[in-house]
Amino acid sequence: MSMMKKNYVVETIRKAQMVELLAKGKRMDGRALDEHRPIRIQTGIIQKANGSARVNLGNTEVIAGVKIATGTPFPDTPDKGLLVVNAEILPLASAYAEPGPPSEEAIELARVVDRGIRESEMVDLTKLCLVEGKSVYTVFVDVNIMNVDGNLFDATSYAVVAALRTARMKKFVVEDDKPKATEEEIPVPVERVPVSVTMARIGDTLLVDPMSEEEAAMDMRITITTDDDGNICASQKGEASTIAPDKVLEAADLSIKLGKEIREKIMEVTG
Amino acid sequence: MVERKQVIPGDVIARGDYRYGSYVEKRGDMYIALRVGLAEVSREGIKLNPMTGPYIPRPDDEVIGKVIDINGFGWVIDINSCFDGFLPASFVFGREFSPATHDLTTKFKVGDIIGCRIESFERSRDPQLSIRGHGYGKIPKGEIIKISPTKVPRLIGRRGAMINMISERTSCDVKVGQNGVVVAVGPPEGVVKTAEAIKMIENETHAADLSRKVEEYLGGAPIGSQA
Amino acid sequence: MEAKRKLIGDDGLRLDGRAWNQLRPIKLEVGTLKNADGSAYIEWGKNKIMAAVYGPKEVHPKHQVLPDRALVRTRYHMAPFSVDERKNPAPSRREIEISKVIREALEPAVIVEDYPRTAIEVWVEVLQSDGGSRVAGITASSLALADAGINLRDLVVGCSCGIVDGQVVADLDDTEDKEGSGDMPVAIMPNLDRVTLLQVDGIYSRDQFQKAFELAIEKGREVYAMQREALTKKFFGDGQVSTSEEEVAE
Repeated sequence: MSMMKKNYVVETIRKAQMVELLAKGKRMDGRALDEHRPIRIQTGIIQKANGSARVNLGNTEVIAGVKIATGTPFPDTPDKGLLVVNAEILPLASAYAEPGPPSEEAIELARVVDRGIRESEMVDLTKLCLVEGKSVYTVFVDVNIMNVDGNLFDATSYAVVAALRTARMKKFVVEDDKPKATEEEIPVPVERVPVSVTMARIGDTLLVDPMSEEEAAMDMRITITTDDDGNICASQKGEASTIAPDKVLEAADLSIKLGKEIREKIMEVTG
Repeated sequence: MVERKQVIPGDVIARGDYRYGSYVEKRGDMYIALRVGLAEVSREGIKLNPMTGPYIPRPDDEVIGKVIDINGFGWVIDINSCFDGFLPASFVFGREFSPATHDLTTKFKVGDIIGCRIESFERSRDPQLSIRGHGYGKIPKGEIIKISPTKVPRLIGRRGAMINMISERTSCDVKVGQNGVVVAVGPPEGVVKTAEAIKMIENETHAADLSRKVEEYLGGAPIGSQA
Repeated sequence: MEAKRKLIGDDGLRLDGRAWNQLRPIKLEVGTLKNADGSAYIEWGKNKIMAAVYGPKEVHPKHQVLPDRALVRTRYHMAPFSVDERKNPAPSRREIEISKVIREALEPAVIVEDYPRTAIEVWVEVLQSDGGSRVAGITASSLALADAGINLRDLVVGCSCGIVDGQVVADLDDTEDKEGSGDMPVAIMPNLDRVTLLQVDGIYSRDQFQKAFELAIEKGREVYAMQREALTKKFFGDGQVSTSEEEVAE
């Protein structure tokens, strides 16, 4: 966290209005407590990338790009391809973002999204192996945060999923124990669709998909990622505050329910 | 006879010999626009109404700011400008003020919205604010609406014509800061209409019949009025 | 040694079908990012670039503040997925140099004296790169500065010309840049008629140099007309000028 730049201070009047509305189950932009902002997903926007997606979640905008090549596997997983998820909050995106190496916020973001992808086994990494111990496909998913208005977790997660689901890669075959490129293009072996749902706690209320103003007023945040079977495959609590155990279970149930709806939407857009 | 034209930075507004104001540069006998805006050329001179741009503090401006920090000697206030404003504690507590005996948070806290005046703005330090005078100080409630500072003159109107019309028709008390921050207090429907009217002014500043459009939108009789 | 392929056909057309002096298709949009004070997006051929401006604002770290003018900061950055082989997100030497020349191309147009003790930050993010990204970045950044309402002497616009198959051509794409024999990005302030960016890569005869240089300026002016259109579209919508008495407070 930069000590020289100020953090967003939410006006006392606005926070009071927010809390008053929350007591009635409503929010400043008219949404219900368990409602996401309109989710817009466009894929194939960067033709030089193997796959790409732009996600607009209200005013939050992110762009994910997939680059696929071949390389050597990690020594402890010789039969698995490489999948790396990176995120950068660009200085373009907010007055509070600085250029430079990723902040702890950006690193946490990338790792939480990566965890959701990896633990759900969204991509079968063994199918990315060409020659065990020697040669595998390497899949890099880089996410550029273009405009910050809260809930980077969900926006980034949906962009990574959409980009991977629509990515195409050159098919390699193995000849003489070496990988050889063919002219054929194949999709990335995507098996499942993990969906993250992020909630903020303001007072005793959980609200889904917080925008910047709500994040500035929130006490804590929780992100829960579920898979196609309604299992929970990743979770992260954020901010230096606490949450009651029963609220955690409430959040889990919300994520399973909303995750299902959003999964349908993502699958519809990514075909 | 006033000639009006849309200009972008670098455009020649007119040639000749004119008086000219801000956002215009004289190069030889040419007058050049420095902003995107609507230029007016008449016998009186050249005036450029910019369509976009930051708020640069001027002494005596009324602004609405947000307290973002407190130190021993005063409040740091975000006035939506390139510099934060500073409200000295001595201006509020008086000459006997001392950090040892006065707790600044008893007066204003972080997050509070304050109506204040630019007392001074010297090139070598941050703008100084004051709350001396009628109507300044903490604004305890209301709807905060933000507008580009360049549109504030249009929102106020000639001798307050536009803002008074809005205020009457919506039964709202509307405080306008030169820095583009507006606070409206009144009945909920009135506040919604005020916000819409302001959005209209921001988006259609250049429209020929803007006043009429706003008037039409706001309707005839004031809401909830007792005739 | 493999034979170099021809980049200009017998019909005089280039690999993508363009004539020697033809620009790639260009799309410009102003005000594309909500948080930035000013922003613009450009698609120039296959280049896709977003430019954002924040400022004038406080200078951090404080010791860098200039007492009598604004500090202009610029960063040109390529997204890892913007090029054929994934690029490491850390700034490369090339990006650092380009950041500097872009800043030096834009700064002459900014009236920095009007904003003492402040910083004006220009962020150029290349989402997809295909030759001429720095001039495209400059073209978009200039619009972002105008969008932010910073006092400008003029806009800045750029175009890259070069030599391909011994011929001077306008607006090299990535293939022509890599396989051709010369690249010359040029940026100008079109009304003041001053050059603010000039880089030369390759070997030019005196005549070729003049031809490429003048062609870059000529094409830059064509792009300037598109900049005007993009700004006008955002701020004046249907383009109707107010004809009645303006009711504006003094």
